[in-house]
Amino acid sequence: MTAKIQPVSCSPGASHTDDTIPPQLLRAIAPLHPTAMGVAWAVVCGGLLTVATLYLMLRGPTLLKFDLLSQFFWGYRVSVAGIFIGLLWGAGVGFVLGYGFALIRNAALWIWLTTVRSRAEMEQYSDFLDRM
Amino acid sequence: METEEQEQIEHAVMVLNEKLLGTALGILSGSMLFLATNFLILKGGEHVGAHLALLSVFFPGYRVTFFGSLIGFSYMFVLGFIIGIVIGAVYNKIVRA
Repeated sequence: MTAKIQPVSCSPGASHTDDTIPPQLLRAIAPLHPTAMGVAWAVVCGGLLTVATLYLMLRGPTLLKFDLLSQFFWGYRVSVAGIFIGLLWGAGVGFVLGYGFALIRNAALWIWLTTVRSRAEMEQYSDFLDRM
Repeated sequence: METEEQEQIEHAVMVLNEKLLGTALGILSGSMLFLATNFLILKGGEHVGAHLALLSVFFPGYRVTFFGSLIGFSYMFVLGFIIGIVIGAVYNKIVRA
């Protein structure tokens, strides 16, 4: 497959020929880009954990035991080193979450489209034998 | 689906509306904290929301009270909105590249 992926956005004035899907409809059923979604979530999760760690370092000791995150994120601490470790962990977990979300959403969409199309085809050919 | 339509769908990729995504995430995350806070208030007990109250470290003014749940909603709405905008912006930038 050498065709380039085409971003689809809705433009009210967009026109289409009879053998193509209308842009508005294509926009509703277009798949998500898993890598792009993974990177977007990686930026957000990594950034949030970094900012939270930095804020807690600047604020000083609190009742909140944020170090407990090390139960899941090995090596994480509320420290300077923890900022970078937290960034890596957050980005990694965020990427997996975003990528997984896009994959599952695309799979669900594919199943739905296949089901709708199969039903439509069955309805279309339901009276096939009657016409013979 | 083995037609030109299938190829069109396979080669298309969705572009996100950043503001809409931000608003949706904001309402969702704000509502979650609002409901969680009020659930604990209604549940009652000796130390109402002792752990949830620790959110005040990040959200100054937040308490496990009804008024606190409104403050928490505001904080989480803003946070969710910003997260949505960032996700939308990064995603669209990569998709359009």
